[in-house]
Amino acid sequence: MALFGSSEKKPEVKTEFMFDTESTINQSTLAKDIKINGSLESTDYLDFSGHLTGTLKSSTINLKPGSYVKGTITADTITVEGEVDGDIQAKDIYIKSTAKIKGNIRYQNIDIQNGSIINADLFYSS
Amino acid sequence: MDDNNTEMDENNSELASDEIQSTPIDNDAKAVNIGSGVRIDGRIEGAETSDISGTLTGTLKSSNININSKGAFNGDMSGQEITISGSVDGEINSEDYLIVNNSANIKGVIEYNSLQVSYGAKIQGTLRHRGSVQSYSPVSTDAVKEDEIKENYEDDQ
Repeated sequence: MALFGSSEKKPEVKTEFMFDTESTINQSTLAKDIKINGSLESTDYLDFSGHLTGTLKSSTINLKPGSYVKGTITADTITVEGEVDGDIQAKDIYIKSTAKIKGNIRYQNIDIQNGSIINADLFYSS
Repeated sequence: MDDNNTEMDENNSELASDEIQSTPIDNDAKAVNIGSGVRIDGRIEGAETSDISGTLTGTLKSSNININSKGAFNGDMSGQEITISGSVDGEINSEDYLIVNNSANIKGVIEYNSLQVSYGAKIQGTLRHRGSVQSYSPVSTDAVKEDEIKENYEDDQ
């Protein structure tokens, strides 16, 4: 009985898990030609290549090369490859060689790649 | 046992003398080496390489600067190639490249040309890129305006 019961349960758990990952992780991509004035918010993962003036908020943000944000960016993890003029607040910030940043950076962990141009005030908080 | 001890001492002194011999007596390499636990207050200029494992308070001008993980620096430093693994409180001015390792703890102003920071490093302060065109200086235009106003005032009189 016990054997029968456990072998019946296992595949159920697996399929549930697969459905969960497909339905809960949202990944948004905004292309180069997009221009936004205002605020943009997402809960999971955001690939941004456009121009934004305003506020940007998400759990994970990738600012792609060529992107430009003027305003406030809040995220858990942010990777900057584009240009930012304003405030960045994140737990983990990765600044790549193509990045250009002006403003304030509030962070817990920061990683800066050679070649980036940063003119900013850094605030570390544990 | 006594023989062993003297041998150990000899070994230590040999190691120490080897290190000294490896740098020329004249120190034409212009090397500065501050050992861990050593504290220095003052001004160092004209050095080629500076290895700081102790505590240095003051001004440091050297082509190569290494603040090692045990090292601490308070004051202004300027150099071409700078690597920070320890703690710095003050101003860092790097003409060439600046490497900040994950054990680093920096407070102050950093002026750099090329900067690399490892994940985990703590930096509190201002970053300034040397190549960037700094924002316009309103002071000079104000001064011109003031002069104009003065001239106008004098003309009126």
